[in-house]
Amino acid sequence: MSFLFGKNASKTFKPKKNIPEGSHGYELMQHAAVTLGSGNLRLAVALPEGEDLNEWVAVNTVDFFNQINMLYGTITEFCTEDTCAVMSAGPKYEYHWADGQTVKKPIKCSAPKYIDYLMSWVQDQLDDENLFPSKIGVPFPRNFLSSAKTILKRLFRVYAHIYHQHFKEVMQLSEEAHLNTSFKHFIYFVQEFNLIERRELAPLQELIDKLTSKER
Amino acid sequence: KEILRKDSTVRNYSPAAYKFFMEQHVENLLKNHAQRITRKMQLEKEMAKVKLSEDAQLQMRRMLQQKESNYIRMKRSKMKKDMFEKI
Ligand SMILES: [Zn+2]
Repeated sequence: MSFLFGKNASKTFKPKKNIPEGSHGYELMQHAAVTLGSGNLRLAVALPEGEDLNEWVAVNTVDFFNQINMLYGTITEFCTEDTCAVMSAGPKYEYHWADGQTVKKPIKCSAPKYIDYLMSWVQDQLDDENLFPSKIGVPFPRNFLSSAKTILKRLFRVYAHIYHQHFKEVMQLSEEAHLNTSFKHFIYFVQEFNLIERRELAPLQELIDKLTSKER
Repeated sequence: KEILRKDSTVRNYSPAAYKFFMEQHVENLLKNHAQRITRKMQLEKEMAKVKLSEDAQLQMRRMLQQKESNYIRMKRSKMKKDMFEKI
């Protein structure tokens, strides 16, 4: 079961040294504050009174997968073997794909290939009745939360890639408020239940600080 | 080793559809949150009115929680199905 606990994390996540922080996207930071609606998403992510934590994490994980899948689906034509020969989140972070099951040794591949592996892998997890039971009354497995953490950790990388490499296109499509809202919801959620380690969030830390500083 | 699938999970999506989805989604998210609180408060109010015993109140609360829990499980399965239909 080690694949579920991200034993390969250190090998698939490659922070590069010697690149100064904040060397990217002035534009990105400037537009970070644009979001949808005026309701309080922070309150909406909290565990409802009496709800089972696994059930709550499960429904939200499926939700984030859908949001990210659609979002990425709007920019596929800009994310190609040529434009994104490696899966990166800015110059400092590069990801190599391994799921620990079919791919044990991390492979360096293009972003579109990486994201395709990633989304297909997540889809398989969500479709696994043992992991995400859909029938009423069937309990979650004991390892559910650690599996969900791995899924969310990987989904974060798609946001990271889009923010770092495709924010221009996102703006061209006037989707920045939608992306920011989606990501803010995601971050509120993972922060609420401590689902992703801080070092994994590093590629977007600056943005996270900005998005979460103004509680709305 | 070729592990890329023939039919990929990643599909093209129209920006308009994505934006519409997100706008509706945020609205629903906040609405669902508020409605769940309202249902809980309604139950408390009703129970206070008919002066239910502590035991019966506990039972009622548990029933509502179970109903809410079942509801989000059904929603999760539906969300997965919707996804397939749309793409
Ligand atoms: Zn790309």
